[in-house]
Amino acid sequence: MLKIENLHATVGGSKILNGISLEIPNGEVHAIMGPNGSGKSTLSYVLAGRDGYEVTQGTATLNGTNLLDLEVDERAAAGVFLAFQYPHEIPGVATFIFLRHALNSVRKARGQEELTTPDFMRLVKGKAAELGVKDEMLKRPLNVGFSGGEKKRMEILQMAILEPSLCILDETDSGLDIDALKTVSEGVNALRSKDRSMLVITHYQRLLDYIVPDKVHVLSKGKIRHSGGKELALELEKSGYAEFVDEDAA
Amino acid sequence: MTAVTNIQKTDAELGLAQQFDDTRANLPGNAWVNTLREDAIRTFAKLGLPHRRVEAWKYTDLRSMLKVANTPAGSELHTVSDADLYQALGADLHGLGAHHIVFVDGVYDEENSFIIGDEAGLVHMTSLAETLDNPPEWFKGNFNKVNPRDNDHVVALNTAFMRDGAVLEIVKDAKLKRPVHLIFISSSKSAEAITERHFIHVEEGASATILESYVHLRAPDTQRNSVTELSIGKGAKVNHIKFQHEGAQASHLSNWMISIGESANYRGFQFTIGAKVSRNTINVNFDGSHSEADISGVAMLWDEQHSDTTMDIVHGVPNTLSRELFKTVLDDRGRAVFQGKLVVKPDAQKTDAKQMAHGMLLSETAEFDAKPELEIYADDVVCGHGATSGQLDEDMMFYMRQRGMSEETVQTLLILAFVGEAFELVEDEDIRAAFTAMAQAWLGGKSDE
Repeated sequence: MLKIENLHATVGGSKILNGISLEIPNGEVHAIMGPNGSGKSTLSYVLAGRDGYEVTQGTATLNGTNLLDLEVDERAAAGVFLAFQYPHEIPGVATFIFLRHALNSVRKARGQEELTTPDFMRLVKGKAAELGVKDEMLKRPLNVGFSGGEKKRMEILQMAILEPSLCILDETDSGLDIDALKTVSEGVNALRSKDRSMLVITHYQRLLDYIVPDKVHVLSKGKIRHSGGKELALELEKSGYAEFVDEDAA
Repeated sequence: MTAVTNIQKTDAELGLAQQFDDTRANLPGNAWVNTLREDAIRTFAKLGLPHRRVEAWKYTDLRSMLKVANTPAGSELHTVSDADLYQALGADLHGLGAHHIVFVDGVYDEENSFIIGDEAGLVHMTSLAETLDNPPEWFKGNFNKVNPRDNDHVVALNTAFMRDGAVLEIVKDAKLKRPVHLIFISSSKSAEAITERHFIHVEEGASATILESYVHLRAPDTQRNSVTELSIGKGAKVNHIKFQHEGAQASHLSNWMISIGESANYRGFQFTIGAKVSRNTINVNFDGSHSEADISGVAMLWDEQHSDTTMDIVHGVPNTLSRELFKTVLDDRGRAVFQGKLVVKPDAQKTDAKQMAHGMLLSETAEFDAKPELEIYADDVVCGHGATSGQLDEDMMFYMRQRGMSEETVQTLLILAFVGEAFELVEDEDIRAAFTAMAQAWLGGKSDE
């Protein structure tokens, strides 16, 4: 379970998060929607521990572990996985090598044995096949020259391999055509589990047709202004954010 | 280079002049060689050690870096065992299955040298000392041929003091499967100056991999001056590789002078991890059309290491191609210099020349100076150059650490990827693997700090 209480954060001295409180029990998928600049991506970076994102107040725990005390890689080992809106290209590092270092790093940190190369290959090839990632892509440098859809599929493949307890999907639908969106969503849905919570950050309701959330939250000016069931996404799509985001001011 | 009038001689310069007088009688060579030496020392007396007001040495002020002139090596012979070579080279480079030609403190070591039987007739080796005593006509005709920067200070010193080296011939149409490994090991406990000169001729239609390894056993403060003159015959192919891992206080002054014949293919590579001060000058002349050269390298420097790579690539005939890719990783107060000069002469139409130099700085105090120079006198050519210097990309590091990798793992992967692009250009897989492992060890060694 992810538990965020009264989280405040600044970036470069500007206040971006202004008291977010949110609980995502294991097994649930929550969506965060909001206009540009509302703090959606900031929330994901703060949880992942990116440099330059300073928490000034509040707490964030995952299954009781205080995330804010941990380094980026320690948070990953503790179960935080962030699927990036724009996954980075890593020239010169073959996807296989990248995945093996990632998996063995988190396994080591979690007190599990590192996988042997044959076991690792079996695992990766199996998961890759499920996501329609070709073997040939695994030999190429990670994300270099991959299409938008291929990059997002690669994010989900990493997520499947690293078995996180919290998945944060940051605008995973951006840059995807409808076919790629379906494949990626199926990949995410396959990872829904009672031991895992998911936070889906999106600008548009479209993604939530495929990854159906248990709850939807509206974020504006760094604070959750409204929460509801999955139908809230549809309302937002029709009426826009205006009536929700102005509540605070009113 | 002319305005060197009233500069006071340094201790090192005075020492070198004195040493020449003291040792000349013991240096090998007949009268013809003696004349060369005397001319050379006169040239050096005029020029002195190169300093920052000499354009080609702007970033490497040898005059202030070389405080003293070590005693010339060779007065006392040292012996090493094969186990010593193993220790100095490491298992990978020692185990290449190569022909070994070994020099200990600048003197040919026949004991440890061998040409393996299956290729014995294809590689002819004579020591320079022997050659200088009775130089054949071809040697006289080719001596110091590829040296576009006339009156080079360091080459003049080399000519004055040269004691020994490899005179190597790869016979016509020989296709060597085994590398020829020239091993230069410094073993003396006292600070010595080693002056070596090598002549390598790869005859028409031959192909060979020639590896020069400069390594040390003890000798942390050797001063080495090494010149390799390599001529490549028509249609020949040469992989010419240098590995430099001299001691931490050593200086390494190296000149490669290469002439490439018609339709020949030259692939040069230099991997530098040793010495406090190193200068790698590479002069390449295209003597025949339809020939190609790829000259690349990797340097990994830390502490207060200074390494300078200065190239002169001269396209003098039509239809030739040159490529350069140099990658440097710098930590602490490490400093690297890259000066790449490309000259395309009026006759050299259809020249295709590209040059790239990239520096990766791991600390605030590291420095990378790149100075490309293009002199193009022909109009139908494609020439390009580029240089970058930067740090590890923070966004990339965040992405990788978010996948659970420690900062150290991420750095290692990204730096190996950075240098790996250059290592890819080493065709011999075993040598490439050995270099990659050494790069990895270099990174590992630093993380223990």
